[in-house]
Amino acid sequence: MKQETIITFDNVHYTYPEETAETLCGITMQVKKGSFVAVLGINGSGKSSLAKHMNAILTPSEGKVTVYGMDTADEELTLEIRRNVGMVFQNPDNQIVANVVEDDVAFAPENLGVPTEEIRRRVNDALAQVGMEEFQKHAPHLLSGGQKQRVAIAGVLAMQPDIIVLDEPTAMLDPQGRRDVLATVKRLCREKGMTVILITHHMEECVEADSLIILDAGRIVETGSPKEVFSQVERMKMLGLSSPEPTCLLHELNDEGFSFPTDVLDAETCAELIAKELNHG
Amino acid sequence: MLKDITLGQYFPGDTVVHRLDPRTKLLLVVIYIVALFAASSWITYALVLLAVLCCMALGHISPGNMFKGLKPMLFIIILTAALNVFYTQGTPILPGWKITWEGIDRAAKMVLRIMLLITGTFLLTYTTSPIALTDGLEKLLSPLKKWKVPVHEMTMMMSMALRFIPTLIEETDKIMSAQKARGADFETGSLIQRAKALIPILVPLFVSAFQRADDLAVAMECRCYHGGEGRTRMKVLTFARRDYIALTLGVVFLIAVILMRKCGI
Repeated sequence: MKQETIITFDNVHYTYPEETAETLCGITMQVKKGSFVAVLGINGSGKSSLAKHMNAILTPSEGKVTVYGMDTADEELTLEIRRNVGMVFQNPDNQIVANVVEDDVAFAPENLGVPTEEIRRRVNDALAQVGMEEFQKHAPHLLSGGQKQRVAIAGVLAMQPDIIVLDEPTAMLDPQGRRDVLATVKRLCREKGMTVILITHHMEECVEADSLIILDAGRIVETGSPKEVFSQVERMKMLGLSSPEPTCLLHELNDEGFSFPTDVLDAETCAELIAKELNHG
Repeated sequence: MLKDITLGQYFPGDTVVHRLDPRTKLLLVVIYIVALFAASSWITYALVLLAVLCCMALGHISPGNMFKGLKPMLFIIILTAALNVFYTQGTPILPGWKITWEGIDRAAKMVLRIMLLITGTFLLTYTTSPIALTDGLEKLLSPLKKWKVPVHEMTMMMSMALRFIPTLIEETDKIMSAQKARGADFETGSLIQRAKALIPILVPLFVSAFQRADDLAVAMECRCYHGGEGRTRMKVLTFARRDYIALTLGVVFLIAVILMRKCGI
């Protein structure tokens, strides 16, 4: 089955006002419908700016970004693009607008002028999708970081977007909160068929992505499946990143004369391979 | 220590007073204030007092909570009383004294008026959540939109401010702990010294508040916020029968007070 392309970047350049250096220098890429794309890069690599181009918060200084064929530079289409591309940010506190969870989730549909009963239905639906139904009447500031971030995701889901862009959603969370948020995101992609774009600097979060894009100094320096990209352990190091630990371990063993496959990302497969090797030896 | 500041002072409950539409309550407070200023005789004052006591009983607000709210106003109340007692012309209570019977009468009425004014408005904030209040205000003031008054923007700002109070209090707590950990002293010294010690708290607090405001604006835009135009609401305010009854009672009460004033009762 050929997947439809929903976001395209065509030679996009971007320079922040009052700055001289380009933040994005010639990005060309496509995102396929229903895929899980991870964007990885060190701080200042331009990954947040890239994300903000996807829903017309920023528009290219040069080049073109389209969502479903709609040009983000066209102000008439801004609202329609934003409805299709939901965006979740790093700090949950700064994106929750109401004192009650359900009121916050209702914010986006209210802005879109959705009828009252329909809003209620969407709010319940969105909260169920992130597993936060029981906190409907709670005050957001009393929730944990992971719960707040799931409320923020629900707030975006209430717009019923096809695409959800997450800009380092786990950066401020504890390990439990991070696992919850990632599980939610993966479920949205795999079960609901949503297109997910996850911006991050944690390698582990990218392992399950369909494709991985590595940004460095405003340029795409690597693309491919996580296995393809992460197996280049030395290249990762050069970019200031690192491959997942199992990949690194096998790589180091190979340096010592073993011949393990280089595209293993998870600990279990890695352990099995090593155990097999030991039994043979 | 900052955690227990209660702003807005809302006591959740499920009484008739709590369930009234916020618009009704806002209008009733206006009616109440007009009635209070129309009252002149002791009988009308007693009537107004009775009305407040009835509402307090209906809303399950204890007199203790009311008095707690009155405490910060004590100074103003005493000052008004003193001024009225000493500066009203009339018959002195004892020959040669400055204190007059008229003065005492006026002072007592003034004190009662201020106390009733505060209790009446507290009754509103005690029984209405801040969000309901801003929603009600937006609806009530919406006719002003015709004259380009930014009603939606103003009420949106109010509800955002209310939303961020706990967040900023938490932030202040964090900054204070960080400063204390580095030897800052907020508790001792003269008033001026303590005020000066607050500057290192306020600067980072303001910086982060602006950062938050910036982030929030982008997040709101991402969720398709584009002003009040074409916005719908999940919770629509509706007038129920109790609202009409309450408003009718309010108007009757006001007319009664004004008639009593006209007839000199």
